Amino acid sequence: MKRPVLTLYCLLVYAFLLAPILVVVGASFNAGNFLTFPPQGLSLRWYVTFFHNDVFMRAIRTSLWVAAVATVISGTIGTMAALYYVQHAGRWKETVRIAMLAPLLLPEVLTAIALLFFVYAIGIGTTTMIGMVAGHVLITLPFVFINVSASLESFDPSWDMAARSLGADRLTRFRRIMLPLIKPGVIGGALFAFIISFDTFTISFMLKGIGTSTLPIQLFDYLRTNFTPEAAAVSTVSILLTLVVVIVSEKVLGLRIHRF
Amino acid sequence: MTAARRKHLGPLVLIAPAAVLLGVFLVLPYLNIVVMSFRMAGQGTPYGPGFTTGNYTKFFADSFYLLQVANTLWIGLLTTAICLVVGFPVAWQLARGNMRFRALAYGLVLSPLLVGIVIRSYGWTILLGNNGLINRTLTGMGLIDRPLPLMYNALGIVIALVHVFLPFMILPIMAGIQGVDPSLESAARSLGASRFTAFRRIVLPLCTPGIQAGCILVFVLSLSAYVTPSLIGGLRVKTMAVTVVDALIDTFQWPWGSALALMLSVTGALCVVVFARLTRMKWKVARP
Repeated sequence: MKRPVLTLYCLLVYAFLLAPILVVVGASFNAGNFLTFPPQGLSLRWYVTFFHNDVFMRAIRTSLWVAAVATVISGTIGTMAALYYVQHAGRWKETVRIAMLAPLLLPEVLTAIALLFFVYAIGIGTTTMIGMVAGHVLITLPFVFINVSASLESFDPSWDMAARSLGADRLTRFRRIMLPLIKPGVIGGALFAFIISFDTFTISFMLKGIGTSTLPIQLFDYLRTNFTPEAAAVSTVSILLTLVVVIVSEKVLGLRIHRF
Repeated sequence: MTAARRKHLGPLVLIAPAAVLLGVFLVLPYLNIVVMSFRMAGQGTPYGPGFTTGNYTKFFADSFYLLQVANTLWIGLLTTAICLVVGFPVAWQLARGNMRFRALAYGLVLSPLLVGIVIRSYGWTILLGNNGLINRTLTGMGLIDRPLPLMYNALGIVIALVHVFLPFMILPIMAGIQGVDPSLESAARSLGASRFTAFRRIVLPLCTPGIQAGCILVFVLSLSAYVTPSLIGGLRVKTMAVTVVDALIDTFQWPWGSALALMLSVTGALCVVVFARLTRMKWKVARP
């Protein structure tokens, strides 16, 4: 370590970044009825309470379901758009890119409100999950697009032409040349989409219907009135779920995430 | 249809689903919300018949809301400035440092992004509360008699927002610094520039786009943040985004809420334009 002051400073910042997360995980093992310091012994009782809490369990199922559906839809649409952007957009390239990134550049709170009014304006309201899923697809789309188009940047059109001159048809060319190239991008993008959707708040908050609260919403509602360590247990399980998704994709699928 | 036409139209199938999605669920809702902001307030319904500019005149006539916008902008500005000061050295070390644990350090910067914003804000309430970890530790050590007011004020909101958005500052700056060839610096040094001069005259101008991208990202995100100000600020300190959402969720004043949300967004956009002018930004939508 050449510069001890800089290193020490960075360690402090890393500690700052991790502190609130570690505190939540630590608090979930508190045996007391309230979040007291120092903790009144260690226990898993709040995990047991949480696993028997139907409201939270339903919220976890809703979150996983919405995230899965949104990931599949935005993964498909985003990948197609990225293919168009890199290979066919021509002079519309910049326009396509800005349009695809728009959900990321616009304030999420405004997008959420606009969507809420819109689903009521067209008469579907929040009784179906259409509005919520559309919102999740919208905010996850840029992440798929960024990852897939980044993985396509190294694509050389002459490879495609070479395959063509060797007699490969369109489907074979896509399967043997394009797909292996974009696979890491698609997986990375889909992973990001899933995590963003699983954790997003504002869109779900505005577009939730009766009984369709996602986990972050349920946790937020709970925190406004309750102070038991159950919320910490819920948070810890949620963090673990995300970690499992990341580790599995890393080990099994060998992902590479481009940018963030 | 001629073969040439078909060849041209074929690829459009690829972009069509995205275009339809963005058109229906982004463009139309945004047009709708602009129209909504000019509607009359309803009696027992979200909005009434007829149109008015009353929502906007109400906004400009009432110093309460102007003050709240100013307050929100101030919190956003403070958050951005602190993120820049705190994040720059970290970005520098990640980009240039000779570290054995670079992958780990990079993971540490990214890791908060994998944890939901509700959970992170909750962590801060545990740390900052009157009976929270920090105050308990300090009173336990006998350093303070009464708990420090860390929550339910702007200070607490800024601390938590800096935490939530710091990665969005570090990552673009890191990318910017990585793009600067270290040999340029060596060249300046060999020509007699001090280490500080080499940094100020060579490195800083070259990594300015990264800094600009980070600042704009953090500022815009902190203006529209809802969860953190709501949980940390409680009922005492409200930012604009909290007021807007509460106006819609609790009291169903759709036209009024729309006008407030649009005014906040327009003010934020104006700030970004002023910032870009002041720092002579080259307009090219920053790659996130």
